[in-house]
Amino acid sequence: MSDAPKMIFVNLPVADLAKSRRFYEALGFTNEPRFSDDTAAAMMWSETIFVMILSHAKWKGFTDRPIAPSTSSEVSLALALGSREAVDAMAEAAAAAGGTADINPVQDHGFMYGRDILDPDGHVWGPFWMDPAVANGEAPVPETSA
Amino acid sequence: MPQMIFINLPVTDLDKSKAFYEAVGATNNPAFTDDTAACMVFSDVIHTMLLTHEKWATFTAKTIPDAHQVAQVLLCVSADSRADVDAQVEKATAAGGKADPTPTQDFGGFMYGRSFEDPDGHIWEVMWMDPTAIPAGEPAEAEA
Repeated sequence: MSDAPKMIFVNLPVADLAKSRRFYEALGFTNEPRFSDDTAAAMMWSETIFVMILSHAKWKGFTDRPIAPSTSSEVSLALALGSREAVDAMAEAAAAAGGTADINPVQDHGFMYGRDILDPDGHVWGPFWMDPAVANGEAPVPETSA
Repeated sequence: MPQMIFINLPVTDLDKSKAFYEAVGATNNPAFTDDTAACMVFSDVIHTMLLTHEKWATFTAKTIPDAHQVAQVLLCVSADSRADVDAQVEKATAAGGKADPTPTQDFGGFMYGRSFEDPDGHIWEVMWMDPTAIPAGEPAEAEA
């Protein structure tokens, strides 16, 4: 069991669980019904990457800290995708499913391409593509102009 | 390209946070580290990018909330055993973090979870689950 790959569950509070579930499905996540009910839904990106969307009532069972307003950002979540086209597809899907595309300028550095989106509650995601040779260290990180 | 996620977090003291994340088991990737950001690797899939507030501000106009006071995310990672959960929380405490900002979840023989917060208040949960105990039958379908 110690060989089991590490898994991550990103828990996010959401105002409208059904709406957020549709949003994450539109982005390409798959609902995992064994960990979903009417207070929470597990959205699977891969065997080791999950997003848990939680109703505010459910969220309050895990922490006393108030939910930070969507005008602020405690975290941004960057997902590596397989191509520039996949990045564009996710940004477009987000905009069509109740989110917001391109809250920041598109980042196009040649070896890397990213677009930043918001989910319906204002949580920041940054789908991006990176040249695999750079990502796995076979090629150096190119200098980019600031 | 493998599935990868990068958890970007703003931090007030990059060196301190880098040392903290190394203490809880992450490895620094120098290829994606400079004096404004540090890439901390938990696995081939899971990476945390620590960013100074100045660097963070170049990515978003949103303000940075005080994560000691409010929360927008709870990050939960799996552990290999109950003992591993306790060990990670102890390492976090020894390295300047705070133990158990959220309630311990102890469901006996099949699930055990604790949490720690990093120096900036970002909360991480560490959870062990017996993989053989996950129910396979009757899904609890969420239809709101």
